[in-house]
Amino acid sequence: MLSVDVSNGLHEELETLALKKKARAIGVALHDLETGFRFSLRGDRWFHAASTIKVAVLLAVFRAADEARFRLDDSLHVRNRFFGAADGSLFRVSQDRDATPELYATIGRTAKISALAQAMICGSSNLATNLLLDFVGVEYARTVLQEAQVAGVELRRGVEDHGAHERGINNEATADGLLSLLSAIRGDFLTPERKQAVIRILLEQRFNSMIPAGLPPHATVAHKTGEISTACHDIGIVYLPEREPYIVAILTEFDPDTDGRREMVAAISETIYRSLLRTEPKSNED
Amino acid sequence: MRTEFLRPIDGLGLSNEYRALLRPGESEAGANGTVHRLPRFFYEIGSWEEAHEIRLTPHFTLAELMLVDCREARLLLSQFAHYVPCAIVLLARFLEDFRREVDAPVFISANGGYRSPAHQIGGAKSIHAWGTAANVYRIGDTFLSDARAIEKYRTIAASLSPAVFVRQFGRDHGQTDDHLHIDLGFVNLTPRKCSEAS
Repeated sequence: MLSVDVSNGLHEELETLALKKKARAIGVALHDLETGFRFSLRGDRWFHAASTIKVAVLLAVFRAADEARFRLDDSLHVRNRFFGAADGSLFRVSQDRDATPELYATIGRTAKISALAQAMICGSSNLATNLLLDFVGVEYARTVLQEAQVAGVELRRGVEDHGAHERGINNEATADGLLSLLSAIRGDFLTPERKQAVIRILLEQRFNSMIPAGLPPHATVAHKTGEISTACHDIGIVYLPEREPYIVAILTEFDPDTDGRREMVAAISETIYRSLLRTEPKSNED
Repeated sequence: MRTEFLRPIDGLGLSNEYRALLRPGESEAGANGTVHRLPRFFYEIGSWEEAHEIRLTPHFTLAELMLVDCREARLLLSQFAHYVPCAIVLLARFLEDFRREVDAPVFISANGGYRSPAHQIGGAKSIHAWGTAANVYRIGDTFLSDARAIEKYRTIAASLSPAVFVRQFGRDHGQTDDHLHIDLGFVNLTPRKCSEAS
């Protein structure tokens, strides 16, 4: 099958899925490293990045380590106290919204930067994210994105910065942008040792109900999810033992409280997998 | 109290790289124009194990008063010996009195005890560079993260000595909102065996 056929078929299937699941918008970007096939469906549309922005912070942290600004086994003071991007006002992140309660037990003490990076990605810890971003600095992280030639990822602030959100200062990303971010991670922007460490962290993701849920059990995915009331995303590198990996960014936007958002991302993931490997849909009789 | 590991040294006798970071005996102007001399005499600590072993008072080890994060100068962070101003013993004594008064464990935060003049937070202008300040983030089970808790313990700490300064709760410069800052002022301590002759 020609890549243009794959592209057209995929386009049609994803549009149908979006319509069926009542998504307000979807953005999908794909790069198959086996064939070189690239696909983008509204890949330049901007979405609230939600927690996918943490991958940009991860890249900045490891780049800073590559530049010997600090060591990954250095310790950082764990403190739940941050300054808003809009007016510098203080805010704290909520433990109730964080999947890493163990990190809150270390407030006042220190945690290793590597452990914070792990918590930021694997447990999507907002506290770890803000600590790391506060440490490396938003401007530095933005510079790293530029140096990595990542366009389409706008990192403007930490997470749970409600004051900034009210003033429209948000982290935003396009599917194409997040795809280029993952490509930078997989490329030679970081030293080989740090690149492997970053991918290892992404592989240890605890939330696996989206991209991995649409794949066969033998697939492994280095990925990061992102969810807020109106957005549900997953971006990752899909590893299959029989072939080279593919990189995918799936961004979706819904009306608040819409059901079946993760299932839709999983369905998009499955559709992409089938298109690339030219396999039949999963049977409903299983 | 285990203090046999405490070895006082004159900072002026340290190597150039340590002196550049610790700046023993140098003058430092504060934000309000007051000038103070940075500590000259230090205890030399050979290892973290030693720091944990050294019990300055029944409830405070040296280790908890010198825990810093990676904002400290690399040399001081990663290599021993470490050097801590001798006045740290006075701080520990005060904290012990404070602990007795509040009748609960007192927890000092990371970067909340001694920080060198080269530390990225506050640098040489911070009173933490004298080893006479402590940031308490928790007392017993109470985290000091609201006005009620901070003001309650601020009153107790301030009542123990006229020399003690405790920051008020607030979010402006010079106030605190997630810990209790206690300090004894710019105290320098010269151990008996040490001479202040240059």
